[in-house]
Amino acid sequence: MLTKSLEGDVVQIVSGGVTDVGRVRTNNEDSFRILEPLNLFILSDGMGGEAHGEVASAMAVETIVKYCSDPDEGTDETGVTLHGAESDHWAPETKRLRNAVYQANFNIYQSAQKHPEQRGMGATLTVGWINGTKLSIAHVGDSRAYLLRTGGLQQLTNDHSLVAEQVRRGILTPQQAEESEMQSVLLRALGAHPEVDVDTEEVDLMPRDVLLFCSDGLTRMVTEPEIAGSLQAETVPMAAAQKLVDLANDRGGLDNITVIVARLEDESKGWFSWLRRDPGKKA
Amino acid sequence: MAKLSLMFENKLMKEVPIGARPVTIGRSPDNDLAVDNLAVSNHHARVYYEGSRLVVEDLDSLNGTFVNDLRVERATLHDGDSIWIGKHHIKVDATADTALPFDSGRKAAAPKINETMVLDTKVRRDMLQQAAALGERSQFSPGRLKMPTLVVLSGRVDQKEYVLTNKLTVIGKSPMATVRLRGWFKPKVAAQINQRDDGYYLGTGSKIPSVNGAPIQGPVRLNDGDLIEVSGIRMNFIFRE
Repeated sequence: MLTKSLEGDVVQIVSGGVTDVGRVRTNNEDSFRILEPLNLFILSDGMGGEAHGEVASAMAVETIVKYCSDPDEGTDETGVTLHGAESDHWAPETKRLRNAVYQANFNIYQSAQKHPEQRGMGATLTVGWINGTKLSIAHVGDSRAYLLRTGGLQQLTNDHSLVAEQVRRGILTPQQAEESEMQSVLLRALGAHPEVDVDTEEVDLMPRDVLLFCSDGLTRMVTEPEIAGSLQAETVPMAAAQKLVDLANDRGGLDNITVIVARLEDESKGWFSWLRRDPGKKA
Repeated sequence: MAKLSLMFENKLMKEVPIGARPVTIGRSPDNDLAVDNLAVSNHHARVYYEGSRLVVEDLDSLNGTFVNDLRVERATLHDGDSIWIGKHHIKVDATADTALPFDSGRKAAAPKINETMVLDTKVRRDMLQQAAALGERSQFSPGRLKMPTLVVLSGRVDQKEYVLTNKLTVIGKSPMATVRLRGWFKPKVAAQINQRDDGYYLGTGSKIPSVNGAPIQGPVRLNDGDLIEVSGIRMNFIFRE
């Protein structure tokens, strides 16, 4: 979809996503969705025995889709307790996205309460929503959102894992965290409690920014410099996503792998724009 | 390693080792020793090492901190002392050799966990507390929150200081930049600062910034007092209390 940058450039957003079971697991508990008309990108990594991780992640994705695409959804009392009196500075879309995540958490929690066999199911959820030039992010768990800009990869989310919290507290170094056997222990996920803390973030996007959303099946197998390199080398989003999935599988594919890539392509026909044309671009 | 044992009517409620970081005592659940009693202030007292001496310090509590029978503001502790807070007391064991579940985090002594799991609140708090007793440095330790700040020394920008509040801070001429550069031929994005789990990382934009005089090779973790130079701007990165 087209959007407009602050400088008035017209920016075309192109995106693609791939999910893969990996080389070890027998089922894929990840779910993702790209809603192009809304510029909405949703990724969820489910957990829980049997097939319930899939149920949880699918439920997370469906709730976000419904909540963000239906203007009436969530305008009345939905049974979800909103946290605190948040006198916050976030844009309406960011608040809406956060409320959608509260709702997704509540739906998963309630389903697990109703169906004893689903007890213990949960999911991560990382959502990006672009409105104009503003990217709104809502996030729970250890899936990630990254921004590649002028060649540098910036992490836009914090992992809600035990090891990440220990790094934040200065107890582990990032290297120790990568080697830890406790990497799978999450401190926050959807479905564990009736309420959840949701991280929100806003980023002003620029032409030629590249966004990446991924499950931990990618980030545990592939380093950040490799991710940055792949995103720069392959400019077709779907192909870039596939390339990253292949790389994670080459390294052992220990977990399900899901990757969404979205590029903001500069479509402006202004002065010098022909100089900036990307030689490798396939329209 | 020394340890503290929280007692209520001769019943052991909880034990914590004393490491490099202070052990905090109070009613609020974020304390290492949380004492759920109205006579106890939210952040009542703390115990820490000062050199080789073990010290207890009252944090302006309403009802006071007592060592043995004496009300104290600050006192050196000895093996066998009791710290009295409300109806609870804390026994000081300065000789104990407590086994800790995390050996400074290298390889956790817990069984290998392949399946993703979520810790419930209580287990989470316990694990983090035990681990925190061993940690020493932390830029994000709650209580004394430090604000990462860019202080401009020279160059044309729109403010003298910038407190970094977002995950991503852009330095450049772009209207969406936090540190807004002025002047002709300034790049839209000269450099960027990314908040990550272990600190703040300076990365390149269309310019290669220098930290303490050396051009960066890739993202560089910023330390308190670092000098950043990019696109004609000189700034100090500091943590402000």
